[in-house]
Amino acid sequence: MKLNPDQFIPVLATEAFHHRKAVVAIFIAVNLLTLTLALLWPKGYTASTTILVEDKKIIQPLMQGAAVTTDVADRSRLARDVIFGRKIMNQILEDTGWLKDNPSPSEQEKIINNLIRQTKITNTGRDLIRIEYKDADPERAFKTAKKYADLFIAESLNAKAAESQAAFDFIDQQTEAYHAKLTKAEEQLKEFRSANLDARPGSDADIGTRLSALQLRIEQSTQDLQEAETKKKSIEKQLSGEAEVATVLSREGQYRARIGELQSQLETLRLNYHDTYPDIIRIKHQIEDLNEAIAEDRKQREEAKAAGRVTIDDSVINNPMYQQLKRDLSQVKITIDTLTARIAEARRELQMEVDLGKRVHTGEADLAELTRDYQVNRDIYQDLLRRRESARVSMNLDKEKQGLNIKIQEPAVLPLHPSGIRFIHFILGGIVLGIGIPFGLLYAKVEMNRRVNAGWAITEKCKLPLLAEVPHLWSPTEVQIVRRELAWQYLAIVGAMAVVVAVASLHVMKTMML
Amino acid sequence: MSKIEKALNKARSAGLLKVVPPAEPKPGVESSPQAVSSARAIVPRPEQRLISSGAIARMREKTLLGKNVLAENRIIYPEQEENATVRAFREIRTKILQKTRGANCTIMVTSVTGQGGCSFVAMNLGAAFAFDAGKTALLVDCNFRNPSLQTTVLPENARGLTDYLEHPGMDVAEIIHAVGIERLRIIPAGGRREIPAEYFTSTRMKELLDDITRRYAERFIILDAPPMTETADTRILAELCDYAVLVAPYGKVTETQISACAKALGEKKLLGVVLNNEPRPPHIQWRKLFLNPFGILWRNRSRRNASK
Repeated sequence: MKLNPDQFIPVLATEAFHHRKAVVAIFIAVNLLTLTLALLWPKGYTASTTILVEDKKIIQPLMQGAAVTTDVADRSRLARDVIFGRKIMNQILEDTGWLKDNPSPSEQEKIINNLIRQTKITNTGRDLIRIEYKDADPERAFKTAKKYADLFIAESLNAKAAESQAAFDFIDQQTEAYHAKLTKAEEQLKEFRSANLDARPGSDADIGTRLSALQLRIEQSTQDLQEAETKKKSIEKQLSGEAEVATVLSREGQYRARIGELQSQLETLRLNYHDTYPDIIRIKHQIEDLNEAIAEDRKQREEAKAAGRVTIDDSVINNPMYQQLKRDLSQVKITIDTLTARIAEARRELQMEVDLGKRVHTGEADLAELTRDYQVNRDIYQDLLRRRESARVSMNLDKEKQGLNIKIQEPAVLPLHPSGIRFIHFILGGIVLGIGIPFGLLYAKVEMNRRVNAGWAITEKCKLPLLAEVPHLWSPTEVQIVRRELAWQYLAIVGAMAVVVAVASLHVMKTMML
Repeated sequence: MSKIEKALNKARSAGLLKVVPPAEPKPGVESSPQAVSSARAIVPRPEQRLISSGAIARMREKTLLGKNVLAENRIIYPEQEENATVRAFREIRTKILQKTRGANCTIMVTSVTGQGGCSFVAMNLGAAFAFDAGKTALLVDCNFRNPSLQTTVLPENARGLTDYLEHPGMDVAEIIHAVGIERLRIIPAGGRREIPAEYFTSTRMKELLDDITRRYAERFIILDAPPMTETADTRILAELCDYAVLVAPYGKVTETQISACAKALGEKKLLGVVLNNEPRPPHIQWRKLFLNPFGILWRNRSRRNASK
């Protein structure tokens, strides 16, 4: 049932009166219960201290860029690990007087666990760690909190010094390693250079130029050679065809020309003379002689041919064309020989250049690698040298406790008032709860009850006319009973509150006396 | 001599109205057999109406009950002006009168469940009607299984409705009892406890209701009926009545139950719902209680000792 405040408050009041016994009983019970709880509740004094921790670790700026350090977000957890370590806890036990009774190791363990339970370490700000310790004894609470802070700082400083020392050692070691590497790279570079003198930058281009010049030369020579070959062939052709024939024909021709001449003379003489004329006979003899000379000549030539001997012709010396061709031929032959030799030389040189080029290329790759190694090592080495110097400074700073980045922001103080829920809170809470619980229950009952307990439900929900809401008619006897009952309940409440007040005052007085 | 007195005398001489003196052997019986029989047969004549107020004034009462007795029996009396319960009953009475326009009628009072305070409401409604010097009330206890009127204001063996319905020869006057409250008469349930529902449908029952309704124009008949959810008799009884009042005990019934009962009674008959027994604290001197609770406890003890 959803009720408006002006609807449920009268209903609540009526219900409270109806269940008055339960309401009063709950009120008294809750009050006495909270009083008991208040008396039994352990009293605790809390001492707290705040420590400021700079965020920067010593290795961080040193190794910036060169290495990445892990980032620890939860500083309080780190602090907890440090503080709750056996080292600090044992120190605390010793210093705050827990070991007076010489507890056994298992008892010590229990005490330590208890201390850890009572200690709260939180991050209050970005760089602030708050350490809280709660104890029944305010003096011990203060001492313990103070000790926690001191030991934590000392431990942190030691750890930091050790850390910077370690950082320096590490960097130093790395520097040495890189130095060795750099020396080695230098050595290698030197060796290589002396081994490959021609392998210097730019030789590649020279070789290229030379190669192309050689190739050009070879091409030109080859072309010239071909030309000479062609020339030689044509000369030989001319020589083989014409020269020899011309020589033979000249001696026979002379003979035949003489014969012709004699024949014409004979003809002429015959016109005038008989064959017996002497001149005619002589001329005839002369012709015969000439024919015989021709035959002789032929016969000699045939024999020479058969014997393979060159017949020396009287007319050869006299052939200038042949002589000219012969001279040309020998000239061409010389040219051909020269060109062939030149081409062979150029080819050899070309081969040499190609080999050189190959060698230069391999050497260049090696050189580049060596140079690169050298440069990288040199850069890192220089960087490390610089870092080593700053690490040395940082280390010295930490050694002399000059680079403090952890300090007590708020020192622990002796707690004067107990912390947590206090006696008065219990008492007040009891009163509030004693009223709140029964009324809450009544409210829940009214909210959840489906039964009609108000006139408006009849008119609004059932849509029926309501004649009247008749209150209970109390008979005089009932009134007396109720009055007595109320008086008793009132007395019970007053009595319970009196007990609460009395116990509370006694308690407060006792605390004041202490 | 006034007009009313004249009329009264006339009626007396005609034998229509006869007031029985208290010394008679049958206390509480109010009219003669002849008068009843004539009233049963005929519709009241106009002159009868006229004389009724005078007759009320002459109604014989037995010794009136003291205020303390009434208070102990949880019956209201006019002097409790400031009491919220009395105010509530006056309100109910006023609303009924508005609805009936002042005419008399039979009103059935029934509860949604048992122990709903139906008899309490019926009794006090009757008492509220009887507050008015010009009106009378007749309470009929129809709740045979659990008759309550008998135990509170009447002796156990008083003759009542069941006796009347069982014995046809019995006169109405024999079962109408005065109880010591001015202008209030009661017909108790009677000796027999088991009576079938058919009795309610019988002609005799109907005649009885007609008779008692018509006898006096200013008499309001109130029937204390059994709870709706326990018996079907109530619905039969509702048929005989002019109006019905539904009693819903505080915090005991749901809206659905109320709606169902209202539907069974019918919209026309239902005058309205009474939310009964709201647990409001009684009128107590709170200041005295808080300032001196021991005084209250001690006074009670001394009073108890004194009564011993």
